[in-house]
Amino acid sequence: MTTSDILALLVLAGLTAYTVLGGADFGAGLWDLSRDRRQRDLVVRAMGPVWEANHVWLIFVLIALFSGFPGGFATLSRSLTGPLSIALLGIVLRGAAFAFRQYGAPHGGPPVRGTALWGRVFAVSSLITPFAFGAAAGGITTGALRADGSAGFLAPFLAPLPLIAGLLAVAACGFIAAVYLTTDADRAGEPDLVAKLRTRALASGLAAGALALLALPLLPKGFLDRLPWLAVAVSVLSGALALELMRRGQFLLARVAAAGAPAGLLTGWALALYPWVLPGEAALSPAPSATAGLIAGVLIVGLLVVIPSYVFMIRVLRAPVDRTDAVTGVG
Amino acid sequence: MLDDLTAAREQMAFSLGFHIIFAVLGVGMPWLMLWAEWRGFRTGDGRWTALARRWSKAVAVLFAVGAVSGTVLSVEFGLLWPEFMARFGSAFGISFTLESFAFFLEAIFLALYLYGWDRLSPRAHLLCGIPVAVSGVASALFVTTANAWMNGPVGLVEGPDGELVSTEPLGPFLAPTTGPQVVHMVLAAFLCTGLAVAAVYAVAMLRDPAKRDGYHRRGFAAGAVMGLGLAVPQALVGDWASRVVAEYQPAKFAAMEGLEHTTDGAPFSIGPWEIPNLLSLLLTFDPNARITGLDVVPPADRPPVAITHLAFQVMIGIGVALIALGAYAAWAWYRDHRRGAHVTDRRGLLIAMAAAGPAPFVALLAGWIVTEVGRQPWIVYQVMRTPEALTSQTGLETYFYVTIVVYLALSVALVAILRRIAAGPHPAPDRTPETRDRHRAFSDQWH
Ligand code: HDD
Ligand code: HEM
Ligand code: HEM
Repeated sequence: MTTSDILALLVLAGLTAYTVLGGADFGAGLWDLSRDRRQRDLVVRAMGPVWEANHVWLIFVLIALFSGFPGGFATLSRSLTGPLSIALLGIVLRGAAFAFRQYGAPHGGPPVRGTALWGRVFAVSSLITPFAFGAAAGGITTGALRADGSAGFLAPFLAPLPLIAGLLAVAACGFIAAVYLTTDADRAGEPDLVAKLRTRALASGLAAGALALLALPLLPKGFLDRLPWLAVAVSVLSGALALELMRRGQFLLARVAAAGAPAGLLTGWALALYPWVLPGEAALSPAPSATAGLIAGVLIVGLLVVIPSYVFMIRVLRAPVDRTDAVTGVG
Repeated sequence: MLDDLTAAREQMAFSLGFHIIFAVLGVGMPWLMLWAEWRGFRTGDGRWTALARRWSKAVAVLFAVGAVSGTVLSVEFGLLWPEFMARFGSAFGISFTLESFAFFLEAIFLALYLYGWDRLSPRAHLLCGIPVAVSGVASALFVTTANAWMNGPVGLVEGPDGELVSTEPLGPFLAPTTGPQVVHMVLAAFLCTGLAVAAVYAVAMLRDPAKRDGYHRRGFAAGAVMGLGLAVPQALVGDWASRVVAEYQPAKFAAMEGLEHTTDGAPFSIGPWEIPNLLSLLLTFDPNARITGLDVVPPADRPPVAITHLAFQVMIGIGVALIALGAYAAWAWYRDHRRGAHVTDRRGLLIAMAAAGPAPFVALLAGWIVTEVGRQPWIVYQVMRTPEALTSQTGLETYFYVTIVVYLALSVALVAILRRIAAGPHPAPDRTPETRDRHRAFSDQWH
């Protein structure tokens, strides 16, 4: 394995982590559109502590890309200007709106005027970002993008494949989020929410599967030939398994299986693409070897510190509290 | 109509200027929270703990806005300056790679800190604050090394024809500009945080004299000491930065000083005044020394003088004014302390502190304008020009306007929410039995 392969694997690992963890946070926005106040509260409680750490995976991917593959980063920035700008807009609005809404009524009093509006902004912007990222991936796959960006701002959106990929990303986020939230509702002892979210998980899971099937015939021939079927099989089987586990009420196991579906799909897509950034147009070329080696080393050591810290955080914040108002607390 | 280059530069400047306001609070606030929480534990004084809790809520909101506006910057690097990133993304890659782990640790431990008040033991909670504070400073440090490298690029490896083949991976840590820039930036973050906090309590006490109680005084004091105490060190480091700029970026230095022609015994200008020979004296300790003017660089390589000079004057003016305020506050505190009074009974001081809240932020932005505009027309000093770095996409003006609208909306909402947090019910449990027991238990296990 070359340094370049290792770096590419690290980028893929970051991208997978962002898809699964960040994707669950985005999908929670979909279920935040609910009129049921308890469901919205569940979303706040589930996302509040973790969304920022999950969001850092995106920064990890960006930084690993421009440090390790500066040329590839520039190519993607030029050719994906449209989807990236729209994703950014969604990221900014979603993050800020979530915090505003969460702290809009910090002392249990009436919320600041506009807090409910920020709740809506949060929900809607949570859908924009996965759609834009999905469309970006779809746009890359079509082979219609140009490395100098001359295909234009809208090119990544103007084909059936990117549009379906965008919807697929939204459905997949909704699916993971519903599975995660079901576990949380179960733990919180809210059986009617569990039932509701379970239905949503099944519906969005089936929608994601259907969209993936629709996308398959749209893949360019060259891309289809390179698709590693093992990864695709992992994705399909995990998705089916997750749905079955949800049906049986095995929520914790369903969580693990649900993560496998988008992870498998993403890995398959990335392997089919590698070593291209834009298929047939621009290939991935690493930074000078001394730099690339150092960066790969720092990334690996950093992950060895960060992952245990993350696990520690989840374990502490999942533990039961003795006081129910702990989140808003005194103060 | 803005042309694409101008739009891209304004966009970069605006989004950086927005981000850095939150970033400096993200660097400084965790230290204040830790200090307050620690005092609460050691003394069992619940007012300190209440302050730490109140602050932690404000930090949660500020951190969220800081995180998303920082993400905008990382993507904007590519969207606006792809040629720059393609050539130099790996040159400062190591700085940003380390930075990403600082972000991870900050986000993880901040979550533990914010949501762990009732889940962790008091000691474990305090310990979780330490990685937050350390990684905030580390973020500022790493990102500034990247900028310092753009000002003083080192480690460029050239091929036989003089073309750039690669860069040393550790360049950002070895640049001559790194030392002063990093220290000056971190001090600026603490100055801004301290004075902003002190100003919030000064305003509260001015509006409602009943708020001159132990809770508000403690909040005020913590901020004022942190902010004013660093004014003198900051000026000394600024002086160091000036000397480094004079040595490595003479054109920027000449623009800062507004010096058109190379002069022996150069005067120092401040506002409308000019003091003969002082600049030469300050820089070289020789009143007649020769100072390089703008005329040594070709006109095409000169930075915009007016704005660089003005921004530099604003920064120095604020720096000197803060030193004066610090001296006055120290004197007032000493007088009042001996008479058994408290400085916050002085209305004049409270007004001055309230006015001083925004000042370091203005100095911070002015300082960045000096650094960035003074580096023009180079994006990497004497290696790559800014227009060469620009994207080929057009219509950048629209992005700029959208950014302004979105950020303005966020600012308005943010201020509303922060006021709401600040105005919540008064939480000053002066040593309630509950907190005392908790803190007693803590001190016992600590000692
Ligand atoms: C609270 C804010 C603050 C205050 C009070 C001062 N500065 Fe500053 N200054 C900054 C905040 C700042 C900064 C954080 O905005 C900059 C921009 C880049 C950097 O590293 O620090 C800066 C840059 C900067 C530079 C340019 C460095 C470069 O281009 O590499 C110089 C020469 C000075 N400062 C000098 C001073 C002097 C002589 C001051 C004294 C009174 C002073 N600053 C007060
Ligand atoms: C790591 C830190 C930084 C990097 C890598 C960086 C990079 C850049 C780049 C690429 C540009 C556009 C090209 C140019 O006009 O020179 C720029 C411009 C600018 N940046 Fe920075 N910057 C950094 C820190 C900051 C910060 C924190 C500020 C805070 C306000 C700032 C203020 C500006 C301004 C005012 C401009 C516009 C210059 C002009 O219009 O001529 N920079 N910077
Ligand atoms: C061009 C320059 C910059 C880029 C690309 C950048 C990027 C980022 C990113 C991506 C984040 C979000 C991290 C998260 O999700 O937690 C962030 C946050 C942060 N940045 Fe920046 N940043 C820049 C300039 C600066 C500067 C000059 C400082 C110095 C004070 C700084 C200090 C911080 C800090 C302390 C945070 C933590 C979040 C917070 O407290 O607001 N950044 N930055």
